[in-house]
This record gives sequence, structure tokens and C-alpha cells, in this order.
Amino acid sequence: MPLFAKFQGFLRNLFLSRRVDADLDREVHAHLELLIAENIRAGMPPHEAQRAAHMELGGIEQVKEQVREQRLGNWLHSVFSDCRYGLRQLRKNPGATAVMVFTLALAIGATTAIFSVVYGVLLRPLPYADSSRIMAVFEVNSKGGWSHLADPNFDDFRDQNRSFQTIAKYNDYVVSVSGASQPTRTAVAHVSPDFLKVFGIQPIAGRDFDASDAKKGAGPTVLVSYVYWRQHLESPRDLSQSHLKIDGAVYSVIGVLPDGFRFPADVELWMPTDLEGENKSRTAHNYFAVGRLRDGVGVEQANRDISAIARRIHDTSSEQGDYLLKDGTVVPLQDSLTGNARPALLVLLATVGFLLLVACANVANLLLAQASERARELAIRSALGAPRGRLIRQFLTEALLLALVGGGLGMLGAYWGVAGLVGLAPQNLPRLDSVSISIPVLAFAFVLSAAVATGLGGFTAARATSGDVRKGLEEGGRGQAGSQGSQRVGRVIVAAQIAITLVLVIGAGLFGRSLKKVLEVNPGFRVDKIVTMDVALPWVEDPKAKTGQAMFFSNLIDRLKQIPGVRKVGAISGLPLVEGGLPDGMFLVMNQSEIPKTVDDFGALQQQKERLGVADFGVATDGYFQALGIPLIRGRIFDERDGPNSPHVAVISESLARDRWPNQDPIGHTIEFGNMDGDLRLLTIVGIVGDTHEYGLDAPPRPTVYVNLFQRPSAAITLTMLSDADTRLVTSAARGILQDLNPEIPARFRTFSQVYSASLGSRRFNVILIGFFGIIALLLATAGVFGVMAYSVSRRTREIGVRVALGANSSDVLRMVLSQGLRTIFIGVAIGVAGALALTRTVESLLFGVTPTDPLTFASVTLLLVAAALLACFIPARRATKVDPMVALRYE
Amino acid sequence: MSAEQTSLLQGTLDLLILKSLIAGEMHGLGVSRRIQQITGGTFVVKPGSLFPALHRMEEEGWISSFWGDSENNRRAKYYRLTKPGRKQLEAETKRWGRISWAIAQALEAS
Repeated sequence: MPLFAKFQGFLRNLFLSRRVDADLDREVHAHLELLIAENIRAGMPPHEAQRAAHMELGGIEQVKEQVREQRLGNWLHSVFSDCRYGLRQLRKNPGATAVMVFTLALAIGATTAIFSVVYGVLLRPLPYADSSRIMAVFEVNSKGGWSHLADPNFDDFRDQNRSFQTIAKYNDYVVSVSGASQPTRTAVAHVSPDFLKVFGIQPIAGRDFDASDAKKGAGPTVLVSYVYWRQHLESPRDLSQSHLKIDGAVYSVIGVLPDGFRFPADVELWMPTDLEGENKSRTAHNYFAVGRLRDGVGVEQANRDISAIARRIHDTSSEQGDYLLKDGTVVPLQDSLTGNARPALLVLLATVGFLLLVACANVANLLLAQASERARELAIRSALGAPRGRLIRQFLTEALLLALVGGGLGMLGAYWGVAGLVGLAPQNLPRLDSVSISIPVLAFAFVLSAAVATGLGGFTAARATSGDVRKGLEEGGRGQAGSQGSQRVGRVIVAAQIAITLVLVIGAGLFGRSLKKVLEVNPGFRVDKIVTMDVALPWVEDPKAKTGQAMFFSNLIDRLKQIPGVRKVGAISGLPLVEGGLPDGMFLVMNQSEIPKTVDDFGALQQQKERLGVADFGVATDGYFQALGIPLIRGRIFDERDGPNSPHVAVISESLARDRWPNQDPIGHTIEFGNMDGDLRLLTIVGIVGDTHEYGLDAPPRPTVYVNLFQRPSAAITLTMLSDADTRLVTSAARGILQDLNPEIPARFRTFSQVYSASLGSRRFNVILIGFFGIIALLLATAGVFGVMAYSVSRRTREIGVRVALGANSSDVLRMVLSQGLRTIFIGVAIGVAGALALTRTVESLLFGVTPTDPLTFASVTLLLVAAALLACFIPARRATKVDPMVALRYE
Repeated sequence: MSAEQTSLLQGTLDLLILKSLIAGEMHGLGVSRRIQQITGGTFVVKPGSLFPALHRMEEEGWISSFWGDSENNRRAKYYRLTKPGRKQLEAETKRWGRISWAIAQALEAS
């Protein structure tokens, strides 16, 4: 029963508070009356009796407040009243409130949006069962880098490890697929039969691969993605009639994978490996590997296990050399997928965190200014019996209201911001599809808002209620002393704000300068007016069929040249700046008499270091160099002389010529590069062309050997058309020509400018975001300086008035105010420069062409910030010079 | 009023209020004067302590209240002991007995 009574009391206090309060009021007044009556009976004169009664009671309001304090549910009640009061306070200063809410919304929104990207890409678990147990396995090469696995090495890892339940190899390509609704260029993966078991998934229709599907000579089978099944196969339940023609071979569709399963990224079809048999070489690095750890096995243990196997292979293999693995490593799949994106994303997160600090500094300053305006109110509340805790809670409540409203608006903003970010993000950012405003992101935003509120409220409260609050009553009358303290705090905040902003803007400047330097790099080829067309024919081995494909391309090129406006047409096996690029390998310098007969002879020759060279292997036509404007330095490029049966020729890049044949003329030398395409005929170097930044503008040019498409055919090429005509006209004409030649072959069109622009995507993304945050921080810091200076001037109106009255002229006043501002600015700048010097080193790997301490960036950003801050000081300083001493002195 | 200001431990105040109400229902001032009387003027309970205690004890269910007329016909809020209140008084009395015995022992020890 007492519990029930208590609950009743709680509800009564909560919902009938007015009645309960009125009752209390009557009771206390009745008590006073009784006291007076008692005193009168004791013989006091009436007004004396009243005075004594009041003395004994000790203040009606205090007594009532003390009763309220210990009532059931009082805390909830007082929270309500704090909120009501807080809202009233915030409404009283609508301008300041709007500024604070907007500032917080901007900062919390931006932080939330960036966090959603960081969470989606780096933190969100991969969408597979027990995904933390899925590992990526790599070979470690002689330079310490991670590389793909060679077949025999993978087999040893698979058979000898004691750490993995299942381990599978895979790689992915883009191939031509027909037999479905229309021919397409589709991403496919070759996977070993246990691939799906690693991820713990099963086909939703049909069956998984079994061991017999992945043997040499097995009937070709394929698994399709859910989306592919719906869009290209029209969702048949019965798969027995579903076949796809992939690179010329017919594959039976045996299963459909669950919706959403896309690994490796963007793959639509999965086919078994090894239909052609395994590659016996331990230095042909063709596969990635993934494995699922056994229960109870940690990453470290698996790492030691794989590493031991790898070192055993290294010690016993007959294929010694730079291309043989040196070690092996195991890393969580999630880390290996997102490792490249991590540094840039963390920099973004840190940047937006700085922005948040700058924003909070502004809000803190506004709150402090309001708090000192409220000194008198605080003093009155304190005098009326409000304990310090209650006053602190009032500040916390107000800050919480601000932060929650700001945070709520910020989350709304983040909702759109994320869509914008995903649109802006570079296409090679992994896991972009898992970026969204999710529950953890919302929780983050909420915790962030609460933390901001606690920080701001706690800080303001600590400042405003420190010392003897009741002094405010005396001080408030004069309205300026004591606020000295809060002004000092304000200046400290502004100095910190300037320091943080300086770090941020210097960072933005360094990234911006890097982008500028990258854009200034001469790529070695023309970018504009080029339309590219990816065409891939089925892969064939027979030399005759290969020659047929070369003829097909030759016809295609001739036809494309006739499109009006098209000036040059060329072909290359891998376009520069496109991810993947040209394959690289080791070639041998040798003469006609030394031609190896078999691949094994080749291996033996590779042991002779003085013959070796390393280069990218590109298959091209003469038109490629002309269309892209890659200059011929010496010798010649391919021409009519170079038919399939005449001696095979090669053109090499300038850097290869310089590095491999120093002080010699490479023209006329013969090289063996048959390991790249299986044709062991020697290549005679006939020309040297300019270097190209094939792997990106920020990567050094790669040494390259170009061979002639008509001598060394390639099934997949990109045609490059230099044209003055409208891109769409060229594209549709080219599509028509291809249709006409062979309707089963798909093509993909882009402009080279798109490729160029995409290759700068992640750099541009960083510059845009960090620059944006930098500008906002700069505006906020300027506003912060302005706010503190304006406030200081308004508090010193009387003092300035006295000075003017005593003979100070306006330049004295200006100097006085400005020098005060300058001191703050310079302290902030000094700390900021020191901070930037310490912090920019951490982003060195993301910079290009500038040092982390680039003096130009440091100087110009510092100047910019000082100028902005001075301007912000100047306006209040000017106002100070306009102070009329009479008005100022009468002001009080 | 010249009685020395002895600060009341909270439990002691509750005990004294319960004890004074055993004599019958009375209003706040009555309780205050009663405590002064039964403690020989040692304890003077100020309204600032009395009213919060009365309201708290009412919420605990130890006492109940009603509006009545005072001896000279003034409206006043009266308090009376409830059944749980009597039980609480017994418990508090026992507890206090133990404490004062223990303190006395402690002070006598050499």
C-alpha cells in the first residue's frame, strides 16, 4: 500500500502541481498567522508581532521552495520548469538563439554526415554472417608489398594451414556476355568452389559449385547475381534452360545468389577457376584469396600460420627471384578492402571535428556573454534560495535545448548531406553503397549533441556561478566590473578558435595546392576531344583466330576513321588513368640466336640479371600515339611495313630507354617479352615515345613497351578517337558501325576527359570537403572575433567615454581596441602555426608536390586569417571611436 | 528562543515529530512548540526544516493531513499519526535507543 500511496503522491505532484502548490501556500500563510496571533497573545504590539513572526518563519518563498525540493517527482517537475524557463530565455534573445542553433546545426550536421561515410566505409561490419572472421590472404613480395597469389602457392596455403575453416581464391574481369536479353560488358569473378562457403551464403535457387565444377575440362557453369537474374534472365524458377555465352563459350546457369551479395564489388557472374587447368608457376600472381577463420583462431595466429607456409615455399622453390613471394600475410577482409581509403577519411573526420570545435567556441562565447548579462538574475535566484546546483542545471538545460534543436536540424541536414557526399565521392571509394544515415549514425549524432550540450552548459555554468553569485546584485547595478573575467575567458576562446581554424585552413591549403600541382603535371598525352570505346572479343588461343580478331579491329578502325569530324583513331590494350592499367612483367634483352623454345627455357634465362628489364606491356596501334598526341622522340612508330609476318617491332617509352639503356641507343636492340602474350618472337625496338603518367598524374611515369596490335593481337582493347564533332554524334555513329560489323559485341563509351576527371576524384573530394570546412571555420572564427570585440567595446562604453572626456582622441581609442584584439589574434596564430607544423606531417602521404610545411601555404593562410580577424576587430573599434562621452557617462 | 541551536539529525527530527503527534492531531506550529516543550527547549524546529519534513512524512504515509479550525478559530492544516506512522515511531524509538546506548558506551570507554 505505501508504494501505491507514493505513486499517487508522485502523480499528484506532477499533474496537480498547481493545487498542491496553492495548498502549500495557504499552509505557510496560516502558519504565519498563527505565529502572529501567538506573538500578540504574548503581548507584542501588532507590527512588532508581525515582524517577529516573519523573522521566525524565515521567508515564505524559501520555506515553500524547501518543501518543493524534497517532494516526490520533484526532479522531473523541476526539469520541466527548467525547460520552460530555458525556452523563455532563448526566446528572449531570438537573434543570438538563431545564430547558436544554426551554428550547432551546421557543425553537428557536417560531423554526422562525415561520420556516416566513415562508419559506412570503415566501421560498418561487412554484410556477411560473422564477418569479422573473414580474412584476406596475400603473398608478401620481395619489396614488402602485398601481392596476389600464384596457383601453387594458394594450393599450399589451402592444404597446409591449420587456421582456416575454408579458404578460396578469386579474381575478377570484365567480359563480353551474350545469350541474355542483350550483349553486355559484365564484371565476372573466377572463384574456387569453396568461395561462397567463406561468406556463409548459399544460392537462393539452384546449387552452389562443387569440387567437380572447378576441374580442367569440366562443363562451364556460372552463378548469377539476383539483380542479373531479374534483369537479364527474366527470373526463371527453372534454371535448366538458362545459358550464357561468355567470351565465346557457353555456360550453364546453375544458381542464383541472394539479393545484395556483390563480392568482389560490382560482379554479376561467378564462374569456377581452373577450367583451363592451373598455372604451375609460383611467380604468376593471378588470384586474391579469402578465408574464414576456424573458431577460436585469431588473426595473429592465422598470420603466423600462413607466414610459416610462405617462408617454407620461399626457401624451397626453384623459382628464386624478385617475383617469388618472400612471406605471407592475413588481414581482416574489411581492412584490406578499405585500407586505401582510411587515411583520407580519417583526415576528413579530424577536419570536421575541428570545425565542430570552432563552432562550439562561438556558441560558448555567445552563452558566456548572455550569462554575464544575466548576472543579476542569477544573484536574485540565488538570494531566493536556489542552490548552486540548481543554477548549474539551468545552464545545462538551456545548452541541452540548444544542442538538441541544433542537433535535430543538423541530422536533417546530414540526411541530405549524405546523399550529396555519396554523389561527390570518388567512384573508387569502397563500400560507398553502405553509406547511409543508419541507427549507429543517429546514435552518434545524438551522443555528439549531448556531449556538446554538456560541454557548453557545464563550461558556461562553471564560469557564471563561480565565486559569490550574489555579488552580481551589487555589480549588476554598475554593469561592467567583474565582466572583465568573462571577457578574458572570451578572448582565450577566440584565440583557441583562431588556432584551430588556422590548422584547418592550412590543411585545406596544402590539399588545394597538391591538387593544383597534380593538375599542372603534364600527363604526356592529350585529354580533350578524345572519345574512348571499350571493345572486347572472346578470348582465343589459336594464332589464326587471333589474327582474325586483329583484322576485325583493323576494319573497325578504318570504318571509325570515316565518321565525320573524327581525325585520328587508335587502339590500346589499357587506357592510361583507368584503374588496372597495363600489366607489367619482366622482359629479356637477347638476340635472334638465343630465342627460348619453351616457357621453362625462359625461366632459366631470367636468372641472368644483366638481361632483365621490367616494363608495362601495352598493345597499341600507330593511331593511338597520334590520337593522344604522345610524341615520337626518336625512330618511328608502327606502319604498313609491320605486318603479322614481318619482324615484330616495339616502341618503348622515354624513361625505359633512359633507365634500361643508359648512354646507349636502344633502337635496333631486340627483346623477348613473350611471357606477356605467349608469342615468343623477338621484338625489335624501332622507336622511342614520350612518357605517360599511366597510373595517375600523381604517380611517376611507368616504363612501357608498346607492341603492334596487328602483330601481337589483343582480344580486349580501347579505341581512342580524336574528334572535333559532338561526342554524342561520334558515339552513336561508332555504335552503329560496331553493330554493323558484329551485333553480338557490346561496347562502352566514355570521353577521355571523364576518365581524367575520375582519376582525380578522391583528391578533388578531399579538397572540396576540407576547403568547405575551412571556409566555414574561417567565417565562424571571424564571427567569433567580431562577437568578442563588439561585446568588449559595448561593455567598455563608459570607460571609453571617460577616456575621451579626459582627452583621448579617436585614433587613441582605435589603437587601444585594436591592440587588444591583435594580442588575441597573435596568440591564436602562434599556437595555430605550431599546431599545424605538428599536425600536417601526418597527412604527408596524401600531399603531392608540396611539403607538409610548405612556407607559401603557411604564410598566405596566416595572412588571410589575420586579415579577416583584423577586419572583424576593426568594425567594433570604429564603433568605439564614435562613443560620445556625454552619452556614455549618462548611459548608466 | 535563547535555547542553544542544536542541529537536528534528519532521523531525529522525524522521531520527534512522530513522538509529538502521538499526543493527538495538531498543526505545524503546534508540532514545533510541542517539540520545544518535550525537549525542554533544546530543540527549536524552524519552519524551513519542519514543513519539508512534514510533507515528506506525509508522502511516506506516516502522517496524514486535513484542514481544521485552530483553538482561536483560524484555518490551519492539521497533521495526525497514521498506522504506518505508529509502526515507524516504534522502529525509530528502538533504533534511537540502540544508537544512544552505543554512543554512551563509546563515551564511557577509556
